[in-house]
Amino acid sequence: MRKILRVNMNTLETSYEDVPEKYQTLGGRSMTSTVVADEVPPTCHPLGPHNKVVFAPGIVTGTDAPTSGRISVGGKSPLTGGIKEANAGTKCAQMLGRLGIAAIVVEGKHEGDDYYLLKVTRDGSALINANQWSGKGLYEVYKELFEEFGKAVGICSVGIAAELLGANSGVCFSDPEGLPSRYAGRGGLGAVMASKGLKFVVVDDTSAPGVEIKNNEAFEKGKEKLRKALTSHDVTKPGGALNSYGTDVLINIINEAGALPQRNFSSGQDDRSENVSGEKKAEEIKKRGGVRPHVCSPGCIIKCSEVWTNPDGTDPVGVLEYESVWALGPNCGIYDLDVVGELNRACNDLGLDTIEAGNTIAVAMEGGLAEFGDGEKALQLFEEIRNKTPTGKILASGTEVTGKVFGVVRIPTVKGQALPAYDPRSIKGIGVTYATTPMGADHTAGYAIAPEILKVGGEADPFDKKKADLSRDLQVATAFIDSSGYCLFIAFALLDISEGVEGMVETINGVLGTDFTVDSVAEIGKQILKTERVFNEAAGFTSVDDRLPEFMREEALPPHNEVFDVPDEELDRVFNF
Amino acid sequence: MVIKVKLYGNLREKASRSAEGAPGMVEIEDRGIKMVSDVLNALNIDEAETSHLFVNGKYSGLRKKVKNGDRVAIFPKNMGLLYKWYFRREENDQE
Repeated sequence: MRKILRVNMNTLETSYEDVPEKYQTLGGRSMTSTVVADEVPPTCHPLGPHNKVVFAPGIVTGTDAPTSGRISVGGKSPLTGGIKEANAGTKCAQMLGRLGIAAIVVEGKHEGDDYYLLKVTRDGSALINANQWSGKGLYEVYKELFEEFGKAVGICSVGIAAELLGANSGVCFSDPEGLPSRYAGRGGLGAVMASKGLKFVVVDDTSAPGVEIKNNEAFEKGKEKLRKALTSHDVTKPGGALNSYGTDVLINIINEAGALPQRNFSSGQDDRSENVSGEKKAEEIKKRGGVRPHVCSPGCIIKCSEVWTNPDGTDPVGVLEYESVWALGPNCGIYDLDVVGELNRACNDLGLDTIEAGNTIAVAMEGGLAEFGDGEKALQLFEEIRNKTPTGKILASGTEVTGKVFGVVRIPTVKGQALPAYDPRSIKGIGVTYATTPMGADHTAGYAIAPEILKVGGEADPFDKKKADLSRDLQVATAFIDSSGYCLFIAFALLDISEGVEGMVETINGVLGTDFTVDSVAEIGKQILKTERVFNEAAGFTSVDDRLPEFMREEALPPHNEVFDVPDEELDRVFNF
Repeated sequence: MVIKVKLYGNLREKASRSAEGAPGMVEIEDRGIKMVSDVLNALNIDEAETSHLFVNGKYSGLRKKVKNGDRVAIFPKNMGLLYKWYFRREENDQE
């Protein structure tokens, strides 16, 4: 029987309860969003005592289903003011799954100035004073924590940016090398955790009972189908794009498409971007003796991760993802992988979301704090955060606050959250998702199995449909995958191989003992989105919040010289189900 | 005027014999070249070796027309990672 672990930060006590009947089939995002909607008042202050932080491993997470090591973190976001789910791939997720913990709900708020560490083992859980590991960079702290608790534990943490209660802060998890590099980055949930006085979660799954599988035959059958799909598809198989180059393979592709935002969204193409491409990075890693390919969590077939190092092969940073490289690189006019690597290291060390942080620096550059391309100055700006200066506090608050403080008009945010690495003036469909997802601008919200496979409404060809229908279908499918525990990247294989989709659903049925079908899971995705939308409406969101920033409609983006011209009525159709 | 072809990943090996200037950039005369498939033939690249094709930054198919001054970009099979449901592949087969 899966349990919910409640952590009361007022009393510093923990307790376990059975998962209630109505939560039995939930996991990942469906669990975090449902608990937040049920227990957090939508109008509460995100950093006050009424907000909660919810951790939930996916439904199949902790089993040996391939590429399924995801954990969702949820709460009310201090960045957007709405509901938030951010997820990451890490063995912490698998460990919680194997311990039979369906969710950790952190509630209340510690009254004093102390920080705490939550230790979770098979025998129970406890809060331990963590002041000795606070106020420090996470690379150093992770070494100390592994020394204290043993090499086999999984670590979740928030950094100095969260201590500042900055909405630019993410929730960080350990990677297999023990580096602080796997982030549920978006939406400032790190600040929510720190506001309660919680800085770390350390998980030890020694002698854990493992994930209960109710129908082993269905599970094994599904697992095999999924494994076949992932190992045979060009994108996900060994030697495929993700495995050979990592997500950063997209730099050259999206730059070629004229959609790679440069210098705070003022152009969509710059051939210097090639210097920070996946090809260049793979070549350098090979030369330096870093690691590539690599996993974010054990049991992944795709292996898109890597370990980036200094030029002499020392001081590993961890993975340099496409979004991070773009945000800290071309979007700041920086085209040097070593500079990008150091900026990424600073983000990991301080507990910053790389997408939000890169956008913040770009807006600060436009606001006159540095010249575009000045990597040294960008690193100094991150030091302002480390030193907790007033400028540092502004930067730790994210892109929108920084833009406002420094008088910048071109602020690339939706619902207060900065845009990812695809300019919606060149890729309009993704702009519809940025505008309408309950999460604020988020590329992963509509990044999933094509609708012709999941049949969530409408006809087969996504290109023949209105963009609202396409975005809705993708958001529905994504919400479901985010609940399963599988990585969204399985979608590339599932897009083309229908047995893979069946396999995914069968493994979920195997774990839960349910009889979902490929068609019926779409309803689950819809329900998640409805829950999130209702929360946001109660928090005060209206259709006006489902819009891209004004400059996207007025400033034409080179090289295609397009503006975002999807009509407001089309955006408002996305959620008319 | 020539057609500029940008080759990515391991397709760059095809350019090494003739390339000058930027890495992976090849310039070819437009004689006998009407569409993307002709560009592939001219560079001895098989369709099966490719993933994404672009003409002047537009996601394109093999029958997309090309002319002098155009930029054609060719990505190898192992670099395919476009969220293809957000892109419409441009072709000129109606003309």
